[in-house]
Parts: sequence; C-alpha cells; structure tokens
Amino acid sequence: MSYLKNSVLLIFICLIVVGIVFVLVWLNTTEFMSYADLKTVLTTTTATFGTMLGIITAGLMFTQGKFSELASELSEKSSDYLAKVLSLEKIQSIENHLLVLRKTFTNLAATTTISEERNLYERITAKASTIFVNFAVLLNLKLKQQGLPDTGLTVSEMDSDLYRVYEKRRKSIRKDWQIFNIIKEIIDVWEAPTAFFTEKPSRKSALQADLKGSVSLLELKEKVDRSSTIRSEVVKMLSNLIDELGKISKRLHEDRIPQLLFQMEQASTLRGKYFYLALIFIAAPLLINLIILPQLSETTLTFFKQIISITSLLSVMGVIFLLLYIHKILNV
Amino acid sequence: MKKTAEEQIKVLFAKQSFPPLEVIIPILEKAGRGEQELTTQVYDMESTLVKGIKEILRLKGEDMKTLAKVVEIAFSFEGVKLEPIKLSESKFSLSISDCPMLHVGKNVSLNVKSKFCDLICTGGSKALMDTVLGQDRGSCFWDKSLIKGAGKCKLVFELVKTR
Repeated sequence: MSYLKNSVLLIFICLIVVGIVFVLVWLNTTEFMSYADLKTVLTTTTATFGTMLGIITAGLMFTQGKFSELASELSEKSSDYLAKVLSLEKIQSIENHLLVLRKTFTNLAATTTISEERNLYERITAKASTIFVNFAVLLNLKLKQQGLPDTGLTVSEMDSDLYRVYEKRRKSIRKDWQIFNIIKEIIDVWEAPTAFFTEKPSRKSALQADLKGSVSLLELKEKVDRSSTIRSEVVKMLSNLIDELGKISKRLHEDRIPQLLFQMEQASTLRGKYFYLALIFIAAPLLINLIILPQLSETTLTFFKQIISITSLLSVMGVIFLLLYIHKILNV
Repeated sequence: MKKTAEEQIKVLFAKQSFPPLEVIIPILEKAGRGEQELTTQVYDMESTLVKGIKEILRLKGEDMKTLAKVVEIAFSFEGVKLEPIKLSESKFSLSISDCPMLHVGKNVSLNVKSKFCDLICTGGSKALMDTVLGQDRGSCFWDKSLIKGAGKCKLVFELVKTR
C-alpha cells in the first residue's frame, strides 16, 4: 500500500517537474514565435483541452454510474435491515437499556467531585444519547416503511437539545441507503477499535470500552468503600447491549456495508471536488483561448503573449489534475 | 463453526476490563486508600487472562519459555509493543515502548506515577509468574524508564533460586 502511495507521489512530482519545464520552454519560445506559429499552437491547445473536457465528462459519468450502482445495492439491503435486522422489539429493548444507562450515569456524574470521573460518566451519557437518537431515527423510518404511525415512545424521553438533533438527523435521511450511515455511526460509537490497556485519553474511545472501564471502576470503589453500588445493573445493561449491538455489527460487517459506504464516499468526492477542480483548470484556459484566438493578430501579438503564458500554465496544471482524476476514478 | 485461537483470545480479552488509570488515580489519591484492592484487581484480571491463554493454546510448561510466550501474546493483545532481550532457562528480559502509565494526565506527579506503576506491575507480574511458573517461583524487576522519559522500559523475570 505504501509502495503504491510512494509511486503515485513520484509520478506526481515527475509531472510537476515536466510541467514546469514545459512552461519554461513555452515562455521562452513564445518570444521567438511568429504570429502564424502562435495561432497554430493556440488552435492545437484549444482542441486538446476540448478533448480533455470530454474525458473528464466521461469520467464523471463513470463515477456517477459507480455511485448509483452502490446506492442501489445498499438500498436493496436497507429494507431487509429495517424489517428483519432491526426488529421493533430489538430497537425498543436497546433504547430502554440506553435510557437506563443515561439516567444512571447522569446521576453518577452529578454525585462525583472528581473531574476525571465526572468526565468519564458524562462521556458515557453523551455517547448513549447519540446512539439513542440514532435508534429513534431508525425506529421512525421503520414505522414509516410499515405504514404505521410513530408512537413517540422514544421522542418523549428526549430533552429539547436531543430532540433537535433527532429532527436534524431524521430530515437528513432522503434516500433508503442513508440508513446505513446511521447504523454505521451507531456501531462506530459503540465499538470503536481500542488498544485495551494503553488507550490514549486523547483518542476517541468507544462507549463499550468506557462502560467496561466504569464497571471496573465501580467494582473497585465497592471494595474500597465496602458499599454496594449500581454496578450489577450496569453489568446487566452492558451485557445485553454487547449481545444486541454485537449482532447488528456482525451483520453489518458480513454485508461489507462499511466498505460500500466508503466507496460511495470516494465516488461522491470525485464527483464533486475533483471534477470542479479539473473543470476550473481546463475550462478556464479553454475559454480564454477561445476569446483570445479570434482577437489574435500581428498587432495584438505582444499584448496577448503574457496572457497566453498564464493560460498555458493553468493548462499544464489542468493536465496534472486530469491525470490525478483518472487515477482516482480507476481506484473507485 | 469453531473459533480460531486468535478469536478465542480476542473474546477472552474482550471479557476483561480494567478501570481507566486517568480516572482511578485521582480517586484513590483522594480516598487515600484502595491501593491494595487495585493490585488485587490487576492480579485477578491478569490471572484470568493468563489461564485463558494457556488453555486456548494448550501451554502446559511451567518454565521461562512458556512464560515468555504468554507475555508475548498478552502484551500484543493489550496493545503493548514488546522487544525481547534475553531468554534463558532461569531468566527472561524484555523491553516495552508503551505502558498505561504513559497515558495518564500530565498533572499526575512522577511520584504518584511511580507508585501506581509499582502497584500495577506488582499485581500483573505476580499473576503471570504464579500462573505460569507456580506460586512464588519467580520474581520480576522493572526499571520505570518510560515514566522517567526514556523511550523504553526494561522488565526482567527471574526464577527464584530454591535451596
């Protein structure tokens, strides 16, 4: 993988060097070029960039095709997820566990005076709330899909801030496949990869890891204070969530959903950013050349020479972007 | 379908939990007690892990070679990079470039870090040696170089000489 990255970097550097050399040669030769030669060069450049624009458009269509293909594959799977993987009972059970956890850790955070401990409990509450809201959105979509009215069971448990997040997330789902963004976010918040013992505090830890840490912490506090806490209840909730969310996570990974979403994201990026960047660098010199060319005469030659140099520089950069664009398309 | 040894060890580690050090240190510092309980908790956790690893990999030996193998596996699953230095029948030395104590808050003094380093390493190493070599058959030394700012910390496991 690193070899591939190095070779791409090398090609990129070579292209920049070739581009700079080309521009320098171009700048020097224009001074000695005749009117007829300059006109021929401009005509050829315009035709070349016209072809490039064609290639870009073809690339865009290819990327769009790939995006649509992935979207349709995911959309097909989404109905199965909403109907079977995310059953009503399962969603409600998970939501109940998350509610209990939220209440428990909010109380714990309110009673502790140690900031590090409070941070841990607040982190758990925040993550449990994120997953809670996401499941509420999924429940809403599921009920809609089945033609049932939203019971509002989960919404009534939200405060105004959470409800705003819920509404925003709900409205952001416009296509069927977008439910996988929500499911993936749930799983990422729940089980982000951690290094178990040497977890860096700066790194985002998963809810599961934070809950396990807090269970251990409560166990130790029980031994120290010789008092009973709510540890057994947390252990029970944790175990249930591991079981229920673990099954969803397993299915998600078996269906390669994270990879498909990543490919879609790549295709979407190409479709947008790279296309517009390439378009700017190719269409701009192309249009300028189209304006310059009809005006070019023996008398305007000196005036346009510098402008042609700038457009040529932009054109060379356009070629580099085009090559990068094609490289990206081939890797989608 | 039967799980592979790696998967079984992964499950074994997933079942274990340890209180986050950046949280537990200020709690115990404030309470002024609970250190013995922390060492016991580390001992119990490490014993369970070592017993599990031995069972999954069917390691029957009670020697330094077995201990080295268990240490290698346990550390890699705990996310600690290990570099072996010497392995003989009576001694196993290694260096590590990462430890939990490195990730506690900057406001924790070196003395406190040193104290908790001893508590955790005492519990962890004793569990390892007791479970692999047998009760009180080994001793362990650690130089705490990592918390002092050096890039590596040296650990030495040695068999206790019996008369």
